[in-house]
Amino acid sequence: MNPGFITFDNVSRFYGEVLGVNRVTLSIPPGITSLVGPNGSGKTTLLNLMAGLIRPTEGSIRVLGIEPRNPRELFRLVGYSTQFDSYPRGTTGRQFIQSFLRLFGYSSSQASKLTAEALDLVHLTDAADRKVAGYSKGMRQRIKLAQAIAHNPQVLVLDEPLNGLDPLVRAETLNLFRKFSSEGRHVFVSTHILHEVDMISDQFILMSNGYVVAEGQIQDVRSEIRDHPMQVTIRCKRPNALASRVFELDHVVEVRLHPDGKGVLVLTRAADLFYRKLNHIAMEDFGIESIAPADDTVKSVYEYLIGEESQR
Amino acid sequence: MTPETTMAGLSGQLFAVVRIEIAKTFFSRRSLWIYLLALLPAALFFMNSIYAKREHARLAKIAIEHPVEKEALRSIRNGARLEDVVGLLGEPYRKTTYGFWSGQPPQRHERLVYFYTDGQVDVTLYFIDGVMRRTGQSGASQTLNQLLLVFANVFELYFLRLAIFFGCAGIFTNLFRGEMLDKSLHFYLLSPVPRPVIVAGKYVAGLLATAVIFSVSTALQFYAMFRGFDGEVVHEYLQSNGWSQIAAYMGVSMLACAAYGSIFLAAGLVAKNPTTIAALLLLWESVNAFIPGNLKMASIVFYLQSLCPIEPPPDMTIPPMLRSLVAPAESVDAFTGIAALAVISLLVLIASGIYSRKLEINYSAD
Repeated sequence: MNPGFITFDNVSRFYGEVLGVNRVTLSIPPGITSLVGPNGSGKTTLLNLMAGLIRPTEGSIRVLGIEPRNPRELFRLVGYSTQFDSYPRGTTGRQFIQSFLRLFGYSSSQASKLTAEALDLVHLTDAADRKVAGYSKGMRQRIKLAQAIAHNPQVLVLDEPLNGLDPLVRAETLNLFRKFSSEGRHVFVSTHILHEVDMISDQFILMSNGYVVAEGQIQDVRSEIRDHPMQVTIRCKRPNALASRVFELDHVVEVRLHPDGKGVLVLTRAADLFYRKLNHIAMEDFGIESIAPADDTVKSVYEYLIGEESQR
Repeated sequence: MTPETTMAGLSGQLFAVVRIEIAKTFFSRRSLWIYLLALLPAALFFMNSIYAKREHARLAKIAIEHPVEKEALRSIRNGARLEDVVGLLGEPYRKTTYGFWSGQPPQRHERLVYFYTDGQVDVTLYFIDGVMRRTGQSGASQTLNQLLLVFANVFELYFLRLAIFFGCAGIFTNLFRGEMLDKSLHFYLLSPVPRPVIVAGKYVAGLLATAVIFSVSTALQFYAMFRGFDGEVVHEYLQSNGWSQIAAYMGVSMLACAAYGSIFLAAGLVAKNPTTIAALLLLWESVNAFIPGNLKMASIVFYLQSLCPIEPPPDMTIPPMLRSLVAPAESVDAFTGIAALAVISLLVLIASGIYSRKLEINYSAD
């Protein structure tokens, strides 16, 4: 067991007869890990288990080697921004963060300094002394994030942190996650905004009905999905000729001309073989400009494994 | 930046929890009616003192204008004739006269009402056909001792059983249940504070708030009572056993907050609807007077009453047949009473601390 990892060992959680998560075994390295899945798939249950807000019915969890039932050690390392959009009554943004930092044992001056830094990171300094109750949805998300990062945790757990954020703030928030990740920390994000998962994730976990359906790096997971041919987009000068040429290959099941007439979409059952053959084809006079996989995205994997209809 | 070692200990975390909670317990909207409950008897005693003072001044003024010997006033008996009374006391400061018919055949009678005062007591003499039939007495006749008995009754029947009980129910059940309903309890559970310390911190904050509110109210009730009396009377009382009685009542208020508080905090932690537990406890504490002998000792109010320094007069509103049932159990001494309440509070808090370790956040189920 790697002490720098977050591990779930055969973890199940039931709410009476209702399944929360079942037989989850994971070993998550540092970096940005995205947790995706439809409503009720068990994402929040997994996060709450990790933070000790609920206990597993079976199995064990270690966060950097620490059991969630040990809050004194755990929460010096973990910051959790939950999905609950509720705050202690009557507090301003600054008071909210500062008062909870005091629980960590920081002195008043330390708490003040850390609060100011966290507020600055989420660009809420100007609104810090206003009541949280008067904040917009996006501001409430940011103050929650500030509270989670204020004590500089090694593990940042975020449940739908991008909800309600405008595009600019969303981009800034994603940059913040990248910065945390680049410092060797864990950023564990539950989200349903799939294209952003692609942009930031080092690895992802796909859940459905309480089970982990897939986990790992997106390309690895995509290559394991044999039912759906891999899609490759090739931009070239002679798409018609290229289409007929690649269609001669046995493992190519479909070739579509791009609507703009400047490329083709190839569906193949053997991506590795196709790329090898393409090296030779590229030597022919098709004017190939670029080759890129078209469906090794979380969105595609999600659709293939869970189904489009269940996507929000 | 690492936490300062001086603050890193459990006591520092406890203090931090208390700091967060204290504002909520003292200044929440819910606390308003608790202040009302607590301050109501003080307000009533205050109004009584104003009334008593005004009445005293009124009678003193009349006594100067219509002086009457106190002994002479006391010597008047039923059957005395009007001329003899007026001869002895002089003309009243006020009188009313009216006639009425009675008897068979109907005869006209005359009723006279004469008002005298010695400056302390307003005495009313009723005459029919010139013969005194009865007397009445009103005005600033209350003594401090009488008022202390009233206070003892109010304290045991209203203050302990209703004001402190419901005040503690309002504040302590809300410490956990309120945050579960607000969906903000998880902020505590996501901090590095051991859960029993959160329980203890919330309890201390609740206790500070209720103890201050109710013990200050107790002191205010005494102050309000004293306002109705001359400084000498108050000084004499305070020098005899007044201070110890005031301290004892304030202490009982605090102990009541400690004991009821621990139970209500546990109720808010464990039960989805703590009012059910509060209602059952209220029922048990209310019927305590009617339960036999040593079974009374299984209630909080028994120990609290044992610690009250003034024994209130028996409740004459209880029907005679039931009165035999309310014979009090043997009171316990102060040490036993305090120790019993402390043990009850501590045990309930320990149980709450243990339970809190298993607490899960599942707001949708709450």
